[in-house]
Amino acid sequence: MGYDPDEILYKPIEKPSPVFWYTVAGLLVIIGWALFMYVRQLYLGLGVTGMNQPVSWGFYIVNFVFFIGISHAGTLISAILRLSKAEWRRPITRMAEVITAIVLAIGGLHPIIDLGRPDRLLNIFRTGRLQSPLLWDVTSITAYFTASTVYLYIPLIPDIAILRDRGAKPQWLYKFLSWGYQGTERQKHVLERAMNILMVMVIPIAVSVHTVISYIFSMTLQPGWHSTIFGPYFVVGAIFSGIAALLIVMIAFRKVFHFEAYLKEVHFRYLGNLLLIMSLLWFYFTFSEYLTGYFGHEPFEMRVFFYKFSGKYAPYYWGMVMCNFVIPVLILSFKKTKRIPGILIAAIAVTIGMWLERLIIVVPSLANTRLPYPTGIYVPSLVEWSLLIGAVSVFVLGFVLFSRFFPLISVWEIKEGRETSVKEVSERLESYLPDTESVRY
Amino acid sequence: MNSKLLFTLQVISLVLIWVLFTGIAIWIGNLLFLSHRLHDAPSATIGISIVAVPIFFTLASVLTYVFWGLQKDRKEE
Amino acid sequence: MPRWGMVIDLDKCTGCGACVAACKQENNVAYNTPEEAERGRTLSWINIMTEVEGEYPHLRVRYLPLPCMHCDNPPCIKVCPVRATYKADNGIVAQIYPRCIGCRYCMAACPYTVKDFNWFEPQWDPEIKKTTNPDVSLRPKGVVEKCTFCHHRLIKAREQAALEGREMLEEEYQPACVETCPANAMFFGDLDDPNSIVARLSRSPRAFRLMEDLGTEPKVYYLSEGEKII
Repeated sequence: MGYDPDEILYKPIEKPSPVFWYTVAGLLVIIGWALFMYVRQLYLGLGVTGMNQPVSWGFYIVNFVFFIGISHAGTLISAILRLSKAEWRRPITRMAEVITAIVLAIGGLHPIIDLGRPDRLLNIFRTGRLQSPLLWDVTSITAYFTASTVYLYIPLIPDIAILRDRGAKPQWLYKFLSWGYQGTERQKHVLERAMNILMVMVIPIAVSVHTVISYIFSMTLQPGWHSTIFGPYFVVGAIFSGIAALLIVMIAFRKVFHFEAYLKEVHFRYLGNLLLIMSLLWFYFTFSEYLTGYFGHEPFEMRVFFYKFSGKYAPYYWGMVMCNFVIPVLILSFKKTKRIPGILIAAIAVTIGMWLERLIIVVPSLANTRLPYPTGIYVPSLVEWSLLIGAVSVFVLGFVLFSRFFPLISVWEIKEGRETSVKEVSERLESYLPDTESVRY
Repeated sequence: MNSKLLFTLQVISLVLIWVLFTGIAIWIGNLLFLSHRLHDAPSATIGISIVAVPIFFTLASVLTYVFWGLQKDRKEE
Repeated sequence: MPRWGMVIDLDKCTGCGACVAACKQENNVAYNTPEEAERGRTLSWINIMTEVEGEYPHLRVRYLPLPCMHCDNPPCIKVCPVRATYKADNGIVAQIYPRCIGCRYCMAACPYTVKDFNWFEPQWDPEIKKTTNPDVSLRPKGVVEKCTFCHHRLIKAREQAALEGREMLEEEYQPACVETCPANAMFFGDLDDPNSIVARLSRSPRAFRLMEDLGTEPKVYYLSEGEKII
């Protein structure tokens, strides 16, 4: 095999730096601690958390909604970009898909962490009720997880085959996973067809997942939850936080693996534009949601409303507005600040802001009961914080491990872009223009 | 690794995916049966199963299609 | 099939808390440390809500005993993923402790906040444990529990009647709180029997139910002169 212009993409796999091991070890220590805290919770009961009555859901459900939200980064964005033939997608798709697969696994575990009796989990198979929105979640998350894993795997096959032919170790892994791919025209055609089917399939599944998660809340009668726009509101928030997470991951790995030649400023600017649009859309939804509540002035609704606006949760509420709207819009609207450092700040702000949004949705509605019950207090305990940090560590670990065995930038898509797409795009562009022959003067 | 063993393992993994998705379908079928027998919201159950079950089988079919499609030009060195 | 229901006369209620104590005794509701109670982990199947109106010296305190409403259209059973809470044919909303997975969705969905969760393994003083009611199972940690209208008393009364070869009388089945109430403010019986005391009281112009506008159709009626509390 001759000189490969994309040599740098294989480097993390073929010549991993010792930093890899230190990172893995460090993350494993944190995860070990989180695991210990979870086992302690299993042994002692959920009382070790800060949850109580009436705030019977806390961090675990917040994190569940948050992580599943992040998962929309991936598959959805990569599918939409592929479908719309956005050529700048090529170095981004892989990372987006990896985020989805890892984060879905983490998010999907959170309701189990939240269970009082995880040992009885199998009851959902024995005596499950599909009327419960929780089981809608189980089915739609399973569907999304499997679909997005397949959607990650199938475009990965050509890259696995490249690695197999380069003799990357462990050989058996690449031989096993490449399914005998040789890159013939026929095989390419098969993969392309499968990808087309999956792209179309994955988008409605992704939308359904976060809609169904919002239904957990909106199907109840509780003030602040019982809202018809929760479905689209959650989906918009999910894509919003997903893009932010994708930007953070891209900036981090660009730095670590020196992918500057692949992830150029233009990719960040385009994704930054998407982030800006989603920020405005998010604001629009938030505005509609709270204005309808405020205008109707239903007393129970108002208690939740003021709890967020001027009560105990005001710092979080206004912090969320700052992080999700003010900061990203200010940064992303000006050319001067819309550079990688600015975009990183905006993306981190959005990630924090979206987490706060989930907190603001879950807790205040539970804390303000309809009856003259004392207003609930919720202070998360050390266990809950540890498990949040543990979940983030699992995410980073998943990414680091993936990057050790598979290229984080889709090699074949870059090659295809370089070899065939330049010509294809110019032909396509010409086909958009008015035909000179048929234009009569 | 010998190529015959490799192929067998790949087929087994594919079969396992089918087993998993069939398992999900059986599970949903069981919930349907239960909700019908106990008169416990059968309409909601039917609605969800109609959407869920085909998705899983489409996924498994796509994977199988890719696997067989790739086998045509397979050669192991 | 009877439709069991309760009527609580708020004008008679003194807020003495005898119903709360009787319920705890009868149903083996676990005790808790004051620190845990402070954090909102008290288990109590019937609560007395207190509302103070006006300002000193023109104060008026109102009490509202709050058991499970045993709704005819319960929001809790719709959301249960494992059928651990269900409505029996006699209208009682039951909870199956050995099946509950502890997701607490029913607690979040209940507009009346009447469900309790076992945050820890219930701690029993050995002396008190000897006196627990053998008719009611002790709950493990991690499950949701709530008022059952002392359902075990219904079973007992029914069996007693069957043994004696007769129909069970309505008066034979009374929950512990109703039986205990020193102010005689609580009544219990078959709402579908037009002659029963609860059916008659529920038709009283003083009668109302909590949050009727939610459409949950509670089977606990309150009686109060003047405007509704909630």
